[in-house]
Amino acid sequence: MIEPDHSYAVEARGISKYFGGIAALDGVDFKVHWGEVHALLGENGAGKTTLSNILAGIYRADSGEIAVDGLTHDVRTPAQAIEAGIGMVHQHFKLVETMTVAENVHLGWPDTPTLVSQRVLVDRTNHLMEEIGLHVDPTAKVWQLSVGEQQRVEILRVLARGAQILILDEPTAVLTSHEARDLFKVMRDLVSGGRTVIFISHKLNEVLEVSDQITVLRNGIHEITRSAEGATPRELARLMTGEERTLEVEHREITGETVLQLEGVTASNDRGVVALSSVDLVARSGEILGIAGVSGNGQTELAEVISAMRRVDGGTITVDGEDVANGLVRKVTDLGVGHIPEDRIGVGIVGSASVKDNAVLRHYWTEGLSSGVTLFRQAVVDFATRLVEVARVQTRSISATAGQMSGGNQQRLVARREALLASRVLIAVHPTRGLDVHAAQEVQTAVIGQRDRGAAVLFISDDLDEVLLMSDRIAVMYEGRIMGIFDRADADREAIGLMMGGHTLEDAMAK
Amino acid sequence: MSTYRLERRLDVDTKKQALTRVAGALIAMGVAGIILLLTGRNSFKILFDGLEAIFGSQRGLEGVALRAIPILMTALAVALSLRMKIWNIGSGGQFLMGAFAALGVGIHVNGPGWLVLILMALAALVAGSLWILVPALARAYWDVNEIITTLLLNFVAAQLVTWAAIGFWRDTEAAVIQSTKRVPYRLAELPGTDSLTIALLVPFVIALVLFWIFRSTTIGFEIDTIGGNPRAAAFAGINVRRRMLLVMLCTGAIAGLGGMLQLSAPGARQLGPGYEAQFGLTGFIVAALAGGAMMGVLVGGTFIASMFFAGLVLQTKGLSVYIIFGIYGLILTGVALGEMAARYRLVRVRDAVSSERVAS
Repeated sequence: MIEPDHSYAVEARGISKYFGGIAALDGVDFKVHWGEVHALLGENGAGKTTLSNILAGIYRADSGEIAVDGLTHDVRTPAQAIEAGIGMVHQHFKLVETMTVAENVHLGWPDTPTLVSQRVLVDRTNHLMEEIGLHVDPTAKVWQLSVGEQQRVEILRVLARGAQILILDEPTAVLTSHEARDLFKVMRDLVSGGRTVIFISHKLNEVLEVSDQITVLRNGIHEITRSAEGATPRELARLMTGEERTLEVEHREITGETVLQLEGVTASNDRGVVALSSVDLVARSGEILGIAGVSGNGQTELAEVISAMRRVDGGTITVDGEDVANGLVRKVTDLGVGHIPEDRIGVGIVGSASVKDNAVLRHYWTEGLSSGVTLFRQAVVDFATRLVEVARVQTRSISATAGQMSGGNQQRLVARREALLASRVLIAVHPTRGLDVHAAQEVQTAVIGQRDRGAAVLFISDDLDEVLLMSDRIAVMYEGRIMGIFDRADADREAIGLMMGGHTLEDAMAK
Repeated sequence: MSTYRLERRLDVDTKKQALTRVAGALIAMGVAGIILLLTGRNSFKILFDGLEAIFGSQRGLEGVALRAIPILMTALAVALSLRMKIWNIGSGGQFLMGAFAALGVGIHVNGPGWLVLILMALAALVAGSLWILVPALARAYWDVNEIITTLLLNFVAAQLVTWAAIGFWRDTEAAVIQSTKRVPYRLAELPGTDSLTIALLVPFVIALVLFWIFRSTTIGFEIDTIGGNPRAAAFAGINVRRRMLLVMLCTGAIAGLGGMLQLSAPGARQLGPGYEAQFGLTGFIVAALAGGAMMGVLVGGTFIASMFFAGLVLQTKGLSVYIIFGIYGLILTGVALGEMAARYRLVRVRDAVSSERVAS
């Protein structure tokens, strides 16, 4: 018998996985050492999540073999994976929101005593936190926690069950940059304690910041595994996309007429708290007006009042001189306003309906698609075919349900559909969030194209680099107010950063 | 070594799903047959008797049709609401109230038969939708769960009808205690039949209209959109509340009309506590198994009506009612499992890893 080789935490060889005849993974080798943060990098659909789901026992590989700590790993269920030492924290948390942290940690855990008091659960949880070095109030209900804290509970759950190898699936997608920093610290602590972290991401800067080793997947194929030291974002981007290109945005002087005008707009959020206070904004034809700000400072509500999804408490909103505040969604759509909503899949897509029905979701009632009573099915098919083509949406058929497409494809569909509707105004809320480099550039290109066709674009993002790249003018939002508006030429990164944190324009300039 | 495993399909083929349901029913019948054989009964004869009861005579086919009408009406009502993911559990109550209103018109209004029958139908449509009005408003405006409100109103409707039958509309001439007066009007007979009226055409016409609405109209598109994702429907500019009210009132109206049609069934021209005969519940089962597909409702409703009729005849031939109910249950379970089966496929997986240690 040959002695097992303990030098690798995970050693996967020749892993292939097919979905409906399409290879999601094609003979992938993946080797991870003990005590390292190993980034798994790739675009949407590159196979990152599939590979980690195989390691975590959620899928089974169609071929290939996996060894954990030198021993073959034959798992069919997540429970067996945990037993072998591999635990995964998914992008969408699987916590019971109405239960406490201590209860969530102990749910479905064989080690939980059968009859147990709150007291004991809390003590056990405190003990675990001490041991692992992660801290959250064990008596708090999960819904009271921030997203970052909930993630910590998930990690705790997995580690409590004895996992030595932790897989984090796009953990920073839901976090603020501050929370992401904290998470990175936790990751470093875990590996210095001898554990291994597999970190899935498509954000190059983060990967370079926190990882020891990087493996790049592209179209289900292993591209490279290399040390993070000395790697550049440019090189990694090229490996991920297979081509080297960066988006160049041309900025011209804006001479167009005013299209969108907000005066003294005040509105509340879903909890009835003031979300917009006396907002004045003007967007002209042929310009991108960027809205910079930390998420949750009224950007979502701003987008919603313009597209008539939310009522205003005061003020006026006009599109080409027509008052649209508190109007009908259809009237706003009719005036040529498109809206890429923040929650694209939750608001913009009907998962159970076909791709073609989703293509016309926002304008099925317009002339050319319907008579007012009947729907012109052939026209719907024609429109959907065109949209799927320009948006490069990958689907088996336009009659297949939208829900069976990948999230990236659903996002593309929504983004292009709204861009096509936006002859006058395009509201884009975090339009590239969750997309890989390639898909993000496609969306950005579509937004710029719409601007060049004469639309006024409201580009809302909490990624300041992106706002600076895209915008002709930049407004900074903080707690529902516009703190200041800059022309592109005068935009000062530092000042904008300070104003996003609540400093006034004068204050920021003085610093 | 290889093993087999179930894998969930991304997209379900509706044609295949229809086949797996039929297969499920057949397998369940096979299981029932084996059990009957083991208990010393001749299941082949039972099957033959059942089939003969249905197909052996015109009387059999008419018996099936008579039972199919009320089941199809409640099933269509529920199927319509299911398209919007609204669970109308109260079609039985709406059915009764439709019958109640139609009967009221029938025994109090004198006039030419066709006119009174039209008035009866209108009264039934209105009464059925009024019976769901409160649950509909509560759901649309305050998000009150319609399952509970519609269900509870079934009992209120049953009590009201019992009151009418023993009280204000009681049949004073007949010896039966719990029955209302008889309606002197009956729908026109279907030519060439002994017991059927034009009532048989109504569910088929309604199914065709609903089928067309969901295939070709903007309203159908809107209902499906709301059923799929209400937030996306609002984003599309659909007035979700108004559509919800419309659908709920229509579902009540269809069930109510079913109650009026049943008044023309032989020997049913009066109302009593047994009038509803679980049509609401049966219709619900049909609609749920058909998954809201209108043509599926027609097939499923007719099938269940045949099954009930065959069961009734077998009962007269000495087969215990408990055995018959057991067979009903087995067959419906078979259909439901068949529906599930189409969502999965059996895949053969080669064992990727052996239990030996990996050499390095």
